[in-house]
Amino acid sequence: MSVVEKADTARAQVRARRPAVRWGPALRAAAGEAVPFVASFVLLAASWEAMALWLRSPLVPDLSAILREFVTICESGKAFREIWVTFYRMGLGFLLAVALSFPIGIASAVSRKAERFFEPGVILGLTVPGLVWALLCVIWFGVSIASPVIAVALGVLPSMIITVQQSVRSLSSDIVEMTRVFRLKRITVLRRIWIPLLYASTISGARVGFSIAWKVIVLVEIFGMSNGVGYQLNSQFSLQSVEGVIAWTLAFWLAMMAVEYLVFRPIETSANHWKKSAYE
Amino acid sequence: MSSHIVIEGLGKAFAPRGGRRPAVIFDGLDMRIEAGQLVALVGPSGCGKSTLLNLIAGLDAPDAGAIRFDGRARDSRLAMVFQQPRLVDWLTAEENIALAFEREGTRPPGDARETVRALLRKVGLTEHSGAYPQFLSGGQRQRVAIARAFAVDPDILLLDEPFSALDELTARRLRLLLQSLWGEADGPRPTGVLVTHNMLEAALLADRIFVLNGHPGHFAAVMDIDIPHPRDPEDPALFAIHREVLHALGEA
Repeated sequence: MSVVEKADTARAQVRARRPAVRWGPALRAAAGEAVPFVASFVLLAASWEAMALWLRSPLVPDLSAILREFVTICESGKAFREIWVTFYRMGLGFLLAVALSFPIGIASAVSRKAERFFEPGVILGLTVPGLVWALLCVIWFGVSIASPVIAVALGVLPSMIITVQQSVRSLSSDIVEMTRVFRLKRITVLRRIWIPLLYASTISGARVGFSIAWKVIVLVEIFGMSNGVGYQLNSQFSLQSVEGVIAWTLAFWLAMMAVEYLVFRPIETSANHWKKSAYE
Repeated sequence: MSSHIVIEGLGKAFAPRGGRRPAVIFDGLDMRIEAGQLVALVGPSGCGKSTLLNLIAGLDAPDAGAIRFDGRARDSRLAMVFQQPRLVDWLTAEENIALAFEREGTRPPGDARETVRALLRKVGLTEHSGAYPQFLSGGQRQRVAIARAFAVDPDILLLDEPFSALDELTARRLRLLLQSLWGEADGPRPTGVLVTHNMLEAALLADRIFVLNGHPGHFAAVMDIDIPHPRDPEDPALFAIHREVLHALGEA
């Protein structure tokens, strides 16, 4: 057996001993969790419908009007196109924030001087409402792609820096001391200790960051863009179409749920498979 | 037998914050540890046992004097078992042990996998090779830590109260495990320094006991234990040594 084959079989054996996913109980558990979720949704819809029937006002459209509008924007494919545009801008801004948060967060965690240098900026960033970034970027960069990307990056960056900084600090000095006593190579310490640690703990921060990104992008699209979910919400608003505003909100909410359950949750689960709490 | 670790005129003080007088831990301490011997450092807490071990490990630097290994300033292969296992949580038992191969200036041995397997067998964890630390019991984690220390085929093995965080029954099993690993080391046995506050543990495992006491710390007694290995934990001779150590500390 070659070295590579040996390593592969060994790796396969390691994998085989990890706890296997059992689908039966997992599905039953998911069904159990779905009950309160469905109940809250049904109650919300029923209350809305009751209110609509009682008020009989064009400002409170009934469920059938909202659903009709929702089906229209989905069937025409408009909802998918616009949501894609919004996600694309969010994603670019978000990636820019992640890329910047690593050097700044790591520096702030290991050096008191760097922390003092970046701290006022981070606190400023946490304090400034997303609205201000949206307005400033639209003024500075106009309708170019730079507006949404930079506004989102500025909005997300402070919380991502704090996440990275805290995750670097979370490595106990005990482990650092162990690597010194065993005189482990720097590259090994980076590859086997720091990168997995940062990966696991920034995933949770990324979820929060992504929801901040949405709150910024919608404003940029209202003020400065001629497409995207924010633009659509604004144009429905100017038509005084309440069902339009709600239908677009609903569509985007579903898209965000899909990202949460199909992207973030699976990545988070796989990044934390070594934690006992992940199985409780 | 030549002296493997030689400590001469060691001085160490810790300056507390706020400009108060520094606490002098050692002032001119001398110590010689023979190659292949396991020596125990016993004494009351705060006497500098762990400080001395950290100085040997290179985690801290002496203020005066020197520590030499076979006449050199640095040891070649040093390993340590800590009071807490200090495993990397996101690496399996197997990967944690293999981590020790990634030593600066060395290459992992060609038969790394086999070495890890053999070690896991020796510490009784063959079944748990792919388990993550959080899924292991305290005793199992410490077994992994012991295997990791032996993985580098150490010249010097430092043990910082390795069993004191475990329940007595588990600690007892691990002491016997350590005794057998030490006995069956291929090639020359490592030179060992065991810090413990358990004098029976010292009597069971050590070839020589250094009794450290006072401020600054000095050796109140140095005792050679001539009982052949492996020793029986119930041997009345060990209890006699226990009494002798207490006597040296002025407690009996």
